[in-house]
Amino acid sequence: MRYKGYTATMHRMAAHEGRRSQLLRGVLDLCLLAVVEEEPAYGYEMTKRLRARGLSIVGEGSIYPLLGRLERDGLVDTYRAASNGGPPRKYYRLTRDGQRAFAAGVSEWRAARDAVDAVLAGVEGEVPV
Amino acid sequence: MNDFVQQCRREWKRLRVPDHLADEMAADLAADLHEAEAEGASVEDVLGSGASDPRSFAASWAAERAVVPPPRLRARLPRTALVLGAIAGLTLVTAIGAALVIFASPDASAPTIAIRVPDEMRGPRAPTGWPRVRIPPSPAYTSPQAARGVWIQHDGRGVLLAERHGSGVEINKVGSILLIVGLVGVVPAMLFLFWSSRARREYSF
Repeated sequence: MRYKGYTATMHRMAAHEGRRSQLLRGVLDLCLLAVVEEEPAYGYEMTKRLRARGLSIVGEGSIYPLLGRLERDGLVDTYRAASNGGPPRKYYRLTRDGQRAFAAGVSEWRAARDAVDAVLAGVEGEVPV
Repeated sequence: MNDFVQQCRREWKRLRVPDHLADEMAADLAADLHEAEAEGASVEDVLGSGASDPRSFAASWAAERAVVPPPRLRARLPRTALVLGAIAGLTLVTAIGAALVIFASPDASAPTIAIRVPDEMRGPRAPTGWPRVRIPPSPAYTSPQAARGVWIQHDGRGVLLAERHGSGVEINKVGSILLIVGLVGVVPAMLFLFWSSRARREYSF
């Protein structure tokens, strides 16, 4: 009985992690656009800025392929500049297309978030895991 | 961390990413990892789940940046498609060969001689007093290497031009060769296709 309970808890935790991954995967590009919209940044700097706002990518996919895709799609462009005491780094900044995509993405996210919030509004308090 | 970058380099080399782009990505990655290490952060902090599989990480990054050259045609097409294409081609060759053997008349392509007769000599009968000349078959004008025409002259006048027609290519022989080549190719190809599909069925779980 005890083993069965442990297994069920593990399954619930795995499902929770899977949902978090999927949610993050859907909006990580938007978060990166938000970071560089504030100020151009290089790869690791973006990771630090995301972490400073409570969004850790540990256990999630890397941002580098995502940055590659944003660059390929013309939503960001790059330039090289010296970093603080280190070697020259590749900085990413938003393009005009990137600004439009960012604005559209924020609207989509807010609409989706509001709809989900409306559905979950009836749930009171924390649901035990 | 340096080992991680080296493994990425090897993967990019295997994927034939141009050197200058691989150098650029490796330098960016090494600088980020170095900075993270200096701050006490782990590889996972920088790369997320990509830290556990350098090859997948490197391949994914290169693919998203679109710096991987497209695979060659042979690599893109599955082997079954190649074999099916070969069978289709060989079947066509066989069909063409069979059609030539069956429908081409045996002497359709044999070299022939046609005599171009001047108008004043045309008539139901040969003009009186003109000699009759018989031209025996000779390789000089019937072989494929023969000259295009024969110039015949009689007594300084009454010139006849004999022209050779036909390509000299024996259609039946060509058809036979195509038929044999097609059959010799198509049978092993079909056997290979049958064997490979059977092997896939046996080893799939």
